[in-house]
Amino acid sequence: MDFAAGARAIAPLDPGSFLFGLAFGALVQVSGFNIWAGMSGSLLVVAGASQIAIIETLRIGAPLAIAVLTALVINARLALYSTALAPAYSAFPRRWKFGLAYLMSDQAAVISLNYQDRYPNPVRRRWFILGASLTFSLTWWLGTVAGIVLGPVIPSAWQIGFIVPLMFIALMVPHVKHRAEVVAALVAVVVALVLKDIPLGLNVIVAALVGIGVGRLVK
Amino acid sequence: MMLLLAFVLAGLGTYLIRLSGVMLLGGDRKLPESVTKTLRLIAPAALAAIIANALLLDGGAWRGFSAWHLAAIVAIGVALWTRSMGWTLVAGAAAFAGLLVLGL
Repeated sequence: MDFAAGARAIAPLDPGSFLFGLAFGALVQVSGFNIWAGMSGSLLVVAGASQIAIIETLRIGAPLAIAVLTALVINARLALYSTALAPAYSAFPRRWKFGLAYLMSDQAAVISLNYQDRYPNPVRRRWFILGASLTFSLTWWLGTVAGIVLGPVIPSAWQIGFIVPLMFIALMVPHVKHRAEVVAALVAVVVALVLKDIPLGLNVIVAALVGIGVGRLVK
Repeated sequence: MMLLLAFVLAGLGTYLIRLSGVMLLGGDRKLPESVTKTLRLIAPAALAAIIANALLLDGGAWRGFSAWHLAAIVAIGVALWTRSMGWTLVAGAAAFAGLLVLGL
Protein backbone atom coordinates (compact mmCIF):
# COMPACT_ATOMS: atom_id res chain seq x y z
CA MET A 1 0.00 0.00 0.00
CA ASP A 2 1.41 3.34 -1.09
CA PHE A 3 0.28 5.32 1.96
CA ALA A 4 2.21 2.91 4.19
CA ALA A 5 5.23 3.08 1.88
CA GLY A 6 5.27 6.86 2.25
CA ALA A 7 4.97 6.54 6.01
CA ARG A 8 7.86 4.07 6.04
CA ALA A 9 10.03 6.23 3.82
CA ILE A 10 9.83 9.16 6.22
CA ALA A 11 9.81 7.07 9.43
CA PRO A 12 13.53 7.52 10.22
CA LEU A 13 12.82 11.26 10.48
CA ASP A 14 9.76 10.92 12.74
CA PRO A 15 11.75 10.87 16.01
CA GLY A 16 13.30 14.18 14.95
CA SER A 17 9.86 15.63 14.26
CA PHE A 18 8.59 14.47 17.64
CA LEU A 19 11.60 15.83 19.54
CA PHE A 20 11.43 19.16 17.74
CA GLY A 21 7.68 19.31 18.54
CA LEU A 22 8.50 18.52 22.14
CA ALA A 23 10.95 21.42 22.21
CA PHE A 24 8.36 23.77 20.69
CA GLY A 25 5.70 22.67 23.18
CA ALA A 26 8.08 23.15 26.08
CA LEU A 27 8.91 26.64 24.78
CA VAL A 28 5.18 27.48 24.73
CA GLN A 29 4.84 26.28 28.30
CA VAL A 30 7.79 28.22 29.72
CA SER A 31 7.06 31.37 27.69
CA GLY A 32 3.85 31.99 29.64
CA PHE A 33 1.58 32.29 26.60
CA ASN A 34 -1.85 30.68 26.57
CA ILE A 35 -1.20 27.00 25.89
CA TRP A 36 -4.15 26.66 23.51
CA ALA A 37 -2.89 29.58 21.43
CA GLY A 38 0.57 27.99 21.49
CA MET A 39 -0.76 24.61 20.44
CA SER A 40 -2.77 26.19 17.62
CA GLY A 41 0.54 27.22 16.04
CA SER A 42 1.38 23.64 15.18
CA LEU A 43 -2.01 23.22 13.45
CA LEU A 44 -2.18 26.63 11.76
CA VAL A 45 1.42 27.09 10.64
CA VAL A 46 2.85 23.52 10.72
CA ALA A 47 6.42 24.81 10.35
CA GLY A 48 8.58 24.54 13.45
CA ALA A 49 11.32 27.09 12.98
CA SER A 50 8.83 29.84 12.10
CA GLN A 51 6.60 28.97 15.08
CA ILE A 52 9.57 29.26 17.42
CA ALA A 53 10.49 32.58 15.80
CA ILE A 54 6.97 33.94 16.40
CA ILE A 55 7.06 33.01 20.09
CA GLU A 56 10.54 34.46 20.56
CA THR A 57 9.69 37.65 18.67
CA LEU A 58 6.46 38.32 20.58
CA ARG A 59 8.09 37.39 23.87
CA ILE A 60 10.57 40.24 23.57
CA GLY A 61 7.68 42.61 22.86
CA ALA A 62 8.16 43.11 19.12
CA PRO A 63 5.11 44.18 17.07
CA LEU A 64 2.79 41.61 15.53
CA ALA A 65 3.78 42.59 11.98
CA ILE A 66 7.45 41.84 12.67
CA ALA A 67 6.60 38.43 14.14
CA VAL A 68 4.48 37.49 11.13
CA LEU A 69 6.99 38.87 8.62
CA THR A 70 9.86 36.97 10.26
CA ALA A 71 7.85 33.76 10.08
CA LEU A 72 6.98 34.28 6.42
CA VAL A 73 10.60 34.96 5.47
CA ILE A 74 11.67 31.77 7.24
CA ASN A 75 8.94 29.87 5.39
CA ALA A 76 9.69 31.41 1.99
CA ARG A 77 11.83 28.34 1.24
CA LEU A 78 8.58 26.34 1.04
CA ALA A 79 7.81 28.20 -2.19
CA LEU A 80 10.94 26.58 -3.61
CA TYR A 81 9.82 23.08 -2.62
CA SER A 82 6.35 23.84 -3.95
CA THR A 83 7.90 24.79 -7.28
CA ALA A 84 10.11 21.71 -7.32
CA LEU A 85 7.08 19.53 -6.59
CA ALA A 86 4.87 21.10 -9.28
CA PRO A 87 5.59 18.36 -11.88
CA ALA A 88 4.88 15.63 -9.29
CA TYR A 89 1.60 17.32 -8.29
CA SER A 90 0.45 18.37 -11.76
CA ALA A 91 -1.85 15.39 -12.37
CA PHE A 92 -3.43 15.52 -8.90
CA PRO A 93 -7.06 16.69 -8.47
CA ARG A 94 -7.38 20.17 -6.97
CA ARG A 95 -8.56 18.99 -3.57
CA TRP A 96 -5.45 16.80 -3.28
CA LYS A 97 -3.23 19.74 -4.16
CA PHE A 98 -4.95 21.89 -1.53
CA GLY A 99 -4.71 19.15 1.10
CA LEU A 100 -1.15 18.04 0.45
CA ALA A 101 0.07 21.65 0.35
CA TYR A 102 -1.15 22.13 3.93
CA LEU A 103 1.02 19.18 5.03
CA MET A 104 4.11 20.24 3.06
CA SER A 105 7.23 20.27 5.24
CA ASP A 106 10.90 20.34 4.24
CA GLN A 107 11.16 16.67 5.09
CA ALA A 108 7.98 15.46 3.38
CA ALA A 109 8.73 17.60 0.31
CA VAL A 110 12.24 16.25 -0.10
CA ILE A 111 11.13 12.64 0.50
CA SER A 112 8.44 13.18 -2.17
CA LEU A 113 11.06 14.54 -4.58
CA ASN A 114 13.48 11.72 -3.85
CA TYR A 115 10.84 9.06 -4.50
CA GLN A 116 8.83 10.64 -7.32
CA ASP A 117 10.53 8.63 -10.09
CA ARG A 118 9.51 5.37 -8.39
CA TYR A 119 5.85 6.41 -8.55
CA PRO A 120 5.02 7.28 -12.16
CA ASN A 121 1.31 6.57 -11.52
CA PRO A 122 -0.19 9.81 -10.10
CA VAL A 123 -2.80 8.01 -8.00
CA ARG A 124 -0.18 5.87 -6.29
CA ARG A 125 2.11 8.89 -6.02
CA ARG A 126 -0.47 11.01 -4.21
CA TRP A 127 -1.08 8.27 -1.63
CA PHE A 128 2.68 7.91 -1.12
CA ILE A 129 3.05 11.66 -0.57
CA LEU A 130 0.04 11.71 1.77
CA GLY A 131 1.50 8.85 3.80
CA ALA A 132 4.82 10.63 4.20
CA SER A 133 3.37 14.12 4.86
CA LEU A 134 0.53 13.17 7.19
CA THR A 135 2.52 10.86 9.46
CA PHE A 136 5.37 13.38 9.69
CA SER A 137 3.00 16.24 10.62
CA LEU A 138 1.15 13.94 13.01
CA THR A 139 4.33 13.29 14.99
CA TRP A 140 4.92 17.05 15.02
CA TRP A 141 1.46 17.61 16.54
CA LEU A 142 1.92 14.80 19.06
CA GLY A 143 5.33 16.19 20.01
CA THR A 144 3.85 19.66 20.52
CA VAL A 145 1.11 18.33 22.81
CA ALA A 146 3.62 16.26 24.76
CA GLY A 147 5.90 19.28 25.16
CA ILE A 148 3.08 21.49 26.41
CA VAL A 149 1.92 18.85 28.90
CA LEU A 150 5.35 17.77 30.09
CA GLY A 151 7.26 21.04 29.82
CA PRO A 152 11.04 21.08 29.47
CA VAL A 153 11.71 17.41 30.28
CA ILE A 154 14.74 17.18 28.03
CA PRO A 155 17.81 18.61 29.80
CA SER A 156 19.25 21.54 27.89
CA ALA A 157 22.66 19.85 28.20
CA TRP A 158 21.46 17.34 25.61
CA GLN A 159 21.37 20.13 23.01
CA ILE A 160 18.62 18.51 20.97
CA GLY A 161 18.79 21.46 18.59
CA PHE A 162 21.41 19.36 16.78
CA ILE A 163 18.58 17.31 15.26
CA VAL A 164 17.82 20.21 12.91
CA PRO A 165 21.10 20.18 10.94
CA LEU A 166 21.29 16.38 11.33
CA MET A 167 17.86 15.82 9.74
CA PHE A 168 18.75 18.09 6.83
CA ILE A 169 22.15 16.43 6.31
CA ALA A 170 20.39 13.04 6.22
CA LEU A 171 17.85 14.36 3.71
CA MET A 172 20.35 16.00 1.39
CA VAL A 173 23.77 14.36 1.38
CA PRO A 174 22.78 10.78 0.38
CA HIS A 175 21.02 12.13 -2.72
CA VAL A 176 23.48 14.69 -4.02
CA LYS A 177 25.24 13.14 -7.00
CA HIS A 178 25.46 15.48 -9.99
CA ARG A 179 28.11 18.16 -10.18
CA ALA A 180 25.53 20.93 -10.53
CA GLU A 181 23.85 19.78 -7.30
CA VAL A 182 27.15 19.78 -5.43
CA VAL A 183 27.95 23.28 -6.69
CA ALA A 184 24.46 24.56 -5.81
CA ALA A 185 24.79 23.16 -2.28
CA LEU A 186 28.32 24.50 -1.67
CA VAL A 187 27.46 27.96 -3.02
CA ALA A 188 24.36 28.04 -0.80
CA VAL A 189 26.49 27.24 2.27
CA VAL A 190 28.97 30.01 1.49
CA VAL A 191 26.27 32.62 0.77
CA ALA A 192 24.29 31.73 3.93
CA LEU A 193 27.45 32.32 5.99
CA VAL A 194 28.60 35.47 4.19
CA LEU A 195 25.14 37.03 4.62
CA LYS A 196 24.77 35.93 8.24
CA ASP A 197 24.21 39.49 9.45
CA ILE A 198 21.30 40.46 7.19
CA PRO A 199 18.03 40.85 9.14
CA LEU A 200 14.97 38.59 9.54
CA GLY A 201 16.85 35.42 8.63
CA LEU A 202 16.84 36.38 4.96
CA ASN A 203 20.25 34.76 4.47
CA VAL A 204 18.74 31.29 4.04
CA ILE A 205 16.37 32.08 1.20
CA VAL A 206 18.89 34.32 -0.59
CA ALA A 207 21.56 31.61 -0.26
CA ALA A 208 19.22 28.98 -1.70
CA LEU A 209 18.37 31.19 -4.68
CA VAL A 210 22.01 32.08 -5.41
CA GLY A 211 22.97 28.40 -5.08
CA ILE A 212 20.32 27.41 -7.62
CA GLY A 213 21.42 30.18 -9.98
CA VAL A 214 25.11 29.30 -9.86
CA GLY A 215 24.35 25.58 -10.05
CA ARG A 216 22.51 26.21 -13.32
CA LEU A 217 25.73 27.55 -14.85
CA VAL A 218 27.39 24.16 -14.34
CA LYS A 219 27.15 21.78 -17.29
CA MET B 1 -4.58 36.69 21.75
CA MET B 2 -1.71 38.40 19.99
CA LEU B 3 -0.01 35.00 19.67
CA LEU B 4 -3.11 33.37 18.18
CA LEU B 5 -3.48 36.22 15.70
CA ALA B 6 0.19 35.89 14.72
CA PHE B 7 -0.28 32.16 14.11
CA VAL B 8 -3.45 32.73 12.07
CA LEU B 9 -1.76 35.32 9.84
CA ALA B 10 1.50 33.37 9.52
CA GLY B 11 -0.50 30.19 8.89
CA LEU B 12 -2.48 31.79 6.07
CA GLY B 13 0.63 33.26 4.48
CA THR B 14 2.56 30.03 4.85
CA TYR B 15 -0.27 28.05 3.27
CA LEU B 16 -0.27 30.38 0.26
CA ILE B 17 3.52 29.97 0.03
CA ARG B 18 3.09 26.18 0.06
CA LEU B 19 0.47 26.37 -2.70
CA SER B 20 2.34 28.90 -4.85
CA GLY B 21 4.58 26.73 -7.01
CA VAL B 22 2.15 23.83 -7.22
CA MET B 23 -0.63 26.09 -8.52
CA LEU B 24 1.40 28.46 -10.73
CA LEU B 25 3.44 25.73 -12.40
CA GLY B 26 0.84 23.06 -11.99
CA GLY B 27 -0.73 22.74 -15.43
CA ASP B 28 -0.66 19.41 -17.19
CA ARG B 29 1.82 20.68 -19.75
CA LYS B 30 5.33 19.34 -20.20
CA LEU B 31 7.94 21.63 -18.69
CA PRO B 32 11.00 22.54 -20.78
CA GLU B 33 14.22 20.82 -19.79
CA SER B 34 15.83 24.07 -18.63
CA VAL B 35 13.05 24.41 -16.06
CA THR B 36 13.25 20.83 -14.81
CA LYS B 37 17.04 21.19 -14.49
CA THR B 38 16.50 24.22 -12.27
CA LEU B 39 13.86 22.43 -10.20
CA ARG B 40 16.30 19.61 -9.47
CA LEU B 41 18.72 22.06 -7.82
CA ILE B 42 16.12 23.44 -5.41
CA ALA B 43 16.32 20.73 -2.74
CA PRO B 44 20.13 20.59 -2.47
CA ALA B 45 20.47 24.38 -2.41
CA ALA B 46 17.67 24.97 0.11
CA LEU B 47 18.78 22.14 2.39
CA ALA B 48 22.43 23.23 2.27
CA ALA B 49 21.46 26.80 3.20
CA ILE B 50 19.47 25.52 6.19
CA ILE B 51 22.32 23.22 7.26
CA ALA B 52 24.84 26.07 7.13
CA ASN B 53 22.50 28.34 9.09
CA ALA B 54 21.63 25.77 11.76
CA LEU B 55 25.03 24.10 12.11
CA LEU B 56 27.68 26.75 11.61
CA LEU B 57 25.71 29.72 12.97
CA ASP B 58 23.89 30.12 16.25
CA GLY B 59 21.40 32.96 16.29
CA GLY B 60 23.36 34.84 13.62
CA ALA B 61 26.80 34.48 15.25
CA TRP B 62 29.45 31.85 14.51
CA ARG B 63 28.98 28.66 16.51
CA GLY B 64 32.15 27.82 18.46
CA PHE B 65 33.83 24.59 17.39
CA SER B 66 32.11 21.77 19.26
CA ALA B 67 30.45 18.38 19.16
CA TRP B 68 28.05 19.87 16.58
CA HIS B 69 30.79 20.14 13.97
CA LEU B 70 32.38 16.78 14.73
CA ALA B 71 29.09 14.87 14.73
CA ALA B 72 28.07 16.60 11.50
CA ILE B 73 31.33 15.47 9.87
CA VAL B 74 30.57 11.89 10.97
CA ALA B 75 27.01 12.17 9.61
CA ILE B 76 28.20 13.55 6.25
CA GLY B 77 30.83 10.81 5.98
CA VAL B 78 28.30 8.06 6.68
CA ALA B 79 25.84 9.69 4.27
CA LEU B 80 28.37 9.64 1.45
CA TRP B 81 29.45 6.10 2.29
CA THR B 82 26.06 4.42 2.77
CA ARG B 83 23.82 6.82 0.78
CA SER B 84 21.22 5.95 3.42
CA MET B 85 19.10 8.50 5.28
CA GLY B 86 18.48 6.12 8.19
CA TRP B 87 22.14 5.26 8.80
CA THR B 88 23.09 8.92 8.53
CA LEU B 89 20.60 9.80 11.29
CA VAL B 90 21.70 6.92 13.51
CA ALA B 91 25.43 7.63 13.06
CA GLY B 92 25.03 11.39 13.54
CA ALA B 93 22.90 11.02 16.66
CA ALA B 94 25.20 8.35 18.14
CA ALA B 95 28.32 10.41 17.43
CA PHE B 96 26.72 13.51 18.95
CA ALA B 97 25.57 11.63 22.07
CA GLY B 98 28.99 10.02 22.43
CA LEU B 99 30.79 13.35 22.15
CA LEU B 100 28.48 14.94 24.74
CA VAL B 101 29.12 12.04 27.13
CA LEU B 102 32.86 12.58 26.62
CA GLY B 103 32.26 16.18 27.64
CA LEU B 104 32.93 17.89 24.30
